[in-house]
Amino acid sequence: MVTLYHWEPNANSGKPMLTLAEKGVGYESHYLDLLKFDQHQPEYLRINPDGTIPALVHGDRVLTESTPMMEYIDEAFPGPPLRPTDPRARWQMRWWMRFFDAYFAPSLSMIGWSVFIGPAARQRDPAELRAAVERIPLESRRIAWRKALFNEFSEEELTESRRRVVFATGVLEAHLSQHPYICGEAYSLGDINGFNLGYALPLSQPERCNDQKTPHIMEWLRKIYERPATRATWAKGRTQMAARVGMLERAAAGPKRDGGDA
Amino acid sequence: MLELYHWEPNIFFLKPMLALAEKGIEYTGHYFDPTNFEQFRPDFPANRESRLQLEREGPVLVHDGAIIASSFFMLEYIAETFPGPTLLPTEPYERYRMHSWGQIVALSLGGAVAALGCERYLVPALRSRPAAQLRAQIATIEPLERRSAWAALVAASDDDTAARAARSRLALPVQRLEAALGGSPWLAGTQYSIADIDAFAMLNALPTLAPTIVGQRSTPHISAFLERMHARPAVRAAMALSRTGRPAEAFVPGPEASRWG
Repeated sequence: MVTLYHWEPNANSGKPMLTLAEKGVGYESHYLDLLKFDQHQPEYLRINPDGTIPALVHGDRVLTESTPMMEYIDEAFPGPPLRPTDPRARWQMRWWMRFFDAYFAPSLSMIGWSVFIGPAARQRDPAELRAAVERIPLESRRIAWRKALFNEFSEEELTESRRRVVFATGVLEAHLSQHPYICGEAYSLGDINGFNLGYALPLSQPERCNDQKTPHIMEWLRKIYERPATRATWAKGRTQMAARVGMLERAAAGPKRDGGDA
Repeated sequence: MLELYHWEPNIFFLKPMLALAEKGIEYTGHYFDPTNFEQFRPDFPANRESRLQLEREGPVLVHDGAIIASSFFMLEYIAETFPGPTLLPTEPYERYRMHSWGQIVALSLGGAVAALGCERYLVPALRSRPAAQLRAQIATIEPLERRSAWAALVAASDDDTAARAARSRLALPVQRLEAALGGSPWLAGTQYSIADIDAFAMLNALPTLAPTIVGQRSTPHISAFLERMHARPAVRAAMALSRTGRPAEAFVPGPEASRWG
């Protein structure tokens, strides 16, 4: 019996969703609305006292770290393996997941929170928002939410984040120009992680990530989007944010034919 | 052919030295002094991943030509590649815990420990060097994140603002480690694993660097864990590779603190 507490197929929530879909593991889905702070409500804090999402419950085990969670899913369930067997390729997969998680993602999400999450949440009553922030269990998350909700990012921080996104995009493009997938020839957890981080890059960074400047990133994203598990996972999205994935649809190669199949 | 580029048996450098000793694997050691920027010399083994590794300065393993960097993932590589006693738990949930500890040690504990050690030992050492030459050496470091870390040490103020911030960042990971070690002998659970090697390498200096945060009284389970580790023959063998005789004073800049606050 597997239960997953998650938000949209996006970033950390999307990592176990897509991994479970690739493995063909069914799960009971609990959608939590991040913007309504469902993850800080007492019912959820009984599952994960840190109030972070996602959380995976498998029997009596509770897993709350999304990247280690992906490795667990790959090990604990049957289905196609999502990690290479060669230790060197595994090392590369893990190195990239850390680069995505701890370098690329914080900068990209700082920009995302300043332009999307913050303004969306500010539609609500400020007093209510302040009370909601005070209920956040982890101090580091409290600081992050406060910055996003009350637009307290400094210009210096945002400039550095933009620099890092440009730099990391270049590093990823260089890597994918040498390898079709993150750790070589085979699709792996590294690609699942990277797709969750980067599926909307062509929309959020159109000047930096496009068919001319980053053709290998574009091809990689489209290939991943064509996988049935990716389509099924993003179909669970409820908001415009997840719907952005549709821009990865390949344009028709030629003019559409009239009439039925030959 | 297995070669390890390492410094004193402390922090990131200690991890592969200890894991290889646990496994009983022979290797060619290349001792280098990262505070003299030897890791930026043209003949030092490097690839994209080793230059951009997020712990910034650390050991490099070269195995049959393949360059492996980033100390926790290096531990996992050693554990998965070489014969000898297994350093990976067999049970998937214990392996999940092992990975989670690796993440916490790298992203939360590690940066704070490195910052405290640098403030105590490395900053005064750098101050005793000719300033202009030091600044010129630092100015050529790539990537920017590694250069900035060294530049920040040279520019460090005399007050204890940075040390206080590092101490406050230690509180949460130390509290979690203490709780985990109260519940099981090893961090992943019942089996000794690379999670213990990884955490030990970063925790070992804390009773000296932050005695009010880690010590017999405040963290009895961590203290007992450190004692259990010091009793291991592999720990003694790794420590015996010190050239200065004071490995616990060897520090380099580590992972940056979270950019979110």
